[in-house]
Amino acid sequence: MTALQPGERFPDLDLPDHTGRARTLSELAAGDPVVLVFSRGWWCPKEQRYLRELTGLQDEFEVAYTRIVVVSVDEPGVQSAFRAGLGARFTFLSDAQRQWLGRLGLEETTDTTHHPYLPTAFTLHPDLTIHAVYPGYWYWGRATMQELRRDMRTISRAVREGFDGP
Amino acid sequence: MSSAGFTWEGRSFQIDARCLEGDPVPGAWVHVCALPLESARIQYDQPEVQQVRRDALAWWIPLLGDELVCLSTLALDEVYCGGAITVARSPRLFDQDPFARLFPGTVIRSDVFSVVAAPAGPVLERYAGAPWPGGRFG
Repeated sequence: MTALQPGERFPDLDLPDHTGRARTLSELAAGDPVVLVFSRGWWCPKEQRYLRELTGLQDEFEVAYTRIVVVSVDEPGVQSAFRAGLGARFTFLSDAQRQWLGRLGLEETTDTTHHPYLPTAFTLHPDLTIHAVYPGYWYWGRATMQELRRDMRTISRAVREGFDGP
Repeated sequence: MSSAGFTWEGRSFQIDARCLEGDPVPGAWVHVCALPLESARIQYDQPEVQQVRRDALAWWIPLLGDELVCLSTLALDEVYCGGAITVARSPRLFDQDPFARLFPGTVIRSDVFSVVAAPAGPVLERYAGAPWPGGRFG
């Protein structure tokens, strides 16, 4: 389980995206609320199911000034193919070198084959302050799409002037 | 400033200002999907414009890979889009440009455009009328 808790600032990850371009998390946030999902990888049926759910939600995110970022240990080329298969339009970050996995305390120790991330989702303010954490080792621990909507509403209400109307 | 002026064939547009802010890439290839006619415009909120932006995020930017220098829609005002430009180090993929579904593409070369981090999806909406993908809140 991660030590990162609500109210703390999430580290500004620096990783290549699914196209291999260098990215930072703050750059991807770009002043908007973020759903940050740490995912095992393309091979896991739970991740495939969950990311299909998330892909279904992107139609709302694309018109709501909010972001989705997925991190896994897959190589960029693999992520790009997986992303295309999902029909996702959000960004994947590749930590194939496991440079952040240990620093974040998100190692899934029971998978000694892939050494992946422990599935975990964070909802973040635009400045990367953590709003909520969802441990997803057990599928039912994961954030539902309704919970993500609720968190995006709460964060947006806090950071957007005139949220209730001009 | 989130937008900057861009003139092509005597017609003035606004583009994402970041495209002109960094070190220029000499001899970059520019695919201008626009027409000289002032009447060649379409509302940003039209489904066609929404869909080509989805396509840009889904496959156009990954397809271009390292060849991409920058891209921007061509804003006429807060409502209307006059097309888009994709700037790349090679023109070899321009025949697949999804923005050409809005207006036909013309290839030119330019020394003024600079590398901009490709937009991160899934946001399609513009920020306070800025040319997509530029602008931000706060």
